Amino acid sequence: MPDNLSLYIERDSPLQRLNPLTKLAISFSLILIGFLGPGYWLATLLFICVLVPLSIWGKIGPEFLQRTVRLILPLALFLFVMQSLFYPGGRTVLWRFWIFSVKLEGVQFAYLTATRLMNMVGAFLLLLLSTHPSTLMTDLTRRGVSPSLTYILVSTLQIIPQMRNKANTIIDAQRSRGLETQGSVRARIGALLPLVGPLVFGSLVDVEERAIALEARAFKAKRVKTSLIHVPDSVRQRQVRIGLVVLTLVMIGIRLWPL
Amino acid sequence: MAIIAIQNLTYHYPQTTQPALQDLSFQVEEGEFVAVIGANGAGKSTLCYALTGFAPHFFRGEMSGQVLVAGLDTRHTPLEELMLVAGLVFQNPGNQISGAKFTVYEEIAFGLENLGVPPAEMRPRIDRIMALTGITDFANRSPYALSGGQQQRVALASILVMEPKLLVLDEPTSQLDPIGSREVFETIRAMSKQGMTVIMAEHKLEWVATFADRVIALANGEIILNGPPAEVLTSPLLIEHHIGQTRYTTVAKQAQAEQLWPPERALPVVIDEAEAGFRAYKK
Amino acid sequence: MSFSERLKADFSTMTLVLIPVAIAINIVIGQIVSLLKLPVYLDSIGTVLVGVLAGPWAGALTGVLSNTIWGLTIDPNALPWFPVALFIGLVAGLCANAGLFKTWWKVVISGLLIAIVAAIVSSFINVALYGGITASGSSFLTAYLMASGRGVIESVLATSFIFEPIDKVATALLAWFIIKGLSKRYVSRFPRAENA
Repeated sequence: MPDNLSLYIERDSPLQRLNPLTKLAISFSLILIGFLGPGYWLATLLFICVLVPLSIWGKIGPEFLQRTVRLILPLALFLFVMQSLFYPGGRTVLWRFWIFSVKLEGVQFAYLTATRLMNMVGAFLLLLLSTHPSTLMTDLTRRGVSPSLTYILVSTLQIIPQMRNKANTIIDAQRSRGLETQGSVRARIGALLPLVGPLVFGSLVDVEERAIALEARAFKAKRVKTSLIHVPDSVRQRQVRIGLVVLTLVMIGIRLWPL
Repeated sequence: MAIIAIQNLTYHYPQTTQPALQDLSFQVEEGEFVAVIGANGAGKSTLCYALTGFAPHFFRGEMSGQVLVAGLDTRHTPLEELMLVAGLVFQNPGNQISGAKFTVYEEIAFGLENLGVPPAEMRPRIDRIMALTGITDFANRSPYALSGGQQQRVALASILVMEPKLLVLDEPTSQLDPIGSREVFETIRAMSKQGMTVIMAEHKLEWVATFADRVIALANGEIILNGPPAEVLTSPLLIEHHIGQTRYTTVAKQAQAEQLWPPERALPVVIDEAEAGFRAYKK
Repeated sequence: MSFSERLKADFSTMTLVLIPVAIAINIVIGQIVSLLKLPVYLDSIGTVLVGVLAGPWAGALTGVLSNTIWGLTIDPNALPWFPVALFIGLVAGLCANAGLFKTWWKVVISGLLIAIVAAIVSSFINVALYGGITASGSSFLTAYLMASGRGVIESVLATSFIFEPIDKVATALLAWFIIKGLSKRYVSRFPRAENA
């Protein structure tokens, strides 16, 4: 089990060296354009022509594809099954069996939704695989994001694996007793409570001491914080970021225009 | 000059009727190593919180009397100002890892970042403290991937790097194994030798006897003894208040009852004194 | 107290440390419950807890972050639903402000209010993004309703109103039980302790 939830893969590449805000801008403009931009094939094109090349540029191509597919595949399959059968506007029947009929409109809609979600997941993964959370948070704090917010984010990434480790022990115990499938709902809950209870209460009780520790490190000091890590940025990247904002607005504008 | 001056300190946690600390008065000189002993619930932790301002600033509750730390009145000084003067390290090592950082090196830098120390100044300070606490090898590891003893030294380093005038320790080894405890104690002793004022709540009396310049014994929130280790640790009051005594004192006392310890000789609190006493009797 | 002062008070050090723990509680319990195939989600207990102890805004933030982290590590389908999680924390906090987290039957009312808001918000996202058929099991019911001649919005809302209340009332009650199980001294450290 890793010590934190960070997805970052350490590689030496131009993508990794980009300022985190630039990568954040790329990701969010891709997501927004994918959902709100014009054209049926737009999300597909963004994924194949932008995200995949960027991941190869960042030397994280295989990991990027593997993770995206693993996350999106089960969801996409479910969407295709449900939408092709039940899409409300479906008229063109592709083929029929028993009481079900697969409709073209449903398949098309499922494809659109699935590619949009894939584009979104891919955009997030590109950012998270190529950016160390520490670098991202340092840069965001320097730009005026509240240190409280970045603290919450980083601390969450570190606490979940710890809680999950403890929970896994509980789940394994349940599994070995066959409790996850057998027994009534009541029996299953009854068996779980004495195990989950201490986990929840223990972690809540620790909050007080951990808050004291945070104060003892002058977290609430009314001073201008400094940062150990220097995160480089450039004028060129700034221009790219402005360009991305403009591009996003234009793409959404094109979609909305004929309205 | 006294770095700590406490006068008639009484403190109640919120929603309690029994005071956690009752009419405490004592002073600590700069560079002194003072151990605070007492049974569970005697007020050791509360005293540590009072010295660092967490009582009453964090816990609220009612406080009367006065606590002066390096001239600052804790009641009227904001917590973040007190943190510059008095550093606090407590029992549970895991709970002292901030969670804000991914490596030990950054973890130690966290306090300095919050204080606004320029980055160029940080690195030499961090390097020095890491060497002093013996954690240089873990610099790039996750603080969560360390043993309890290692984590506690990281916690200690994270406070020391902020260069407080006073170190307040609340049973820093109570959750560590013997090896981890020894490492932490050695680090604290090294700091004390460099002139740092140390106040340590501790229940391992053998360690207290070797380290402390002075021992304060608490019972039910009150000071029952305050003096040199040899005097406080041999007092019968410790037995009465369930604090116990060092194993050397216990053995020598038993020996005394069976006429195996020189009757005029003071009871020992450290192993060397015990050895000398038994040798003297043999002659 | 002005809004920014209130916000500052809500996001005390205790709150900052509580939120990650609450997110972990959401995710860990949510995963265990889904593994046990119980007929509820129970993936917002932490969100409601923060809403009660630290106010609506801290609750809303907890919801959004839980959802994002769940989406990026477990199931990306969760991502577009972050407004639902936001409103769960927000409404829980508002209910607590109104004194609806003091006794068990008031907590049930809170659970129902949370469920109503969650159902409306999720139906909106559902229709806008998926056309009524999402990637969750309850969509079979929606599909059935639509097949029997009802409109998309009507079917989606009906489904939500069947599934949400059980889950949200259980969530609110569990959060309340957890708070009751904590010591008074401990709860008093939180900015909205008087709401519990």
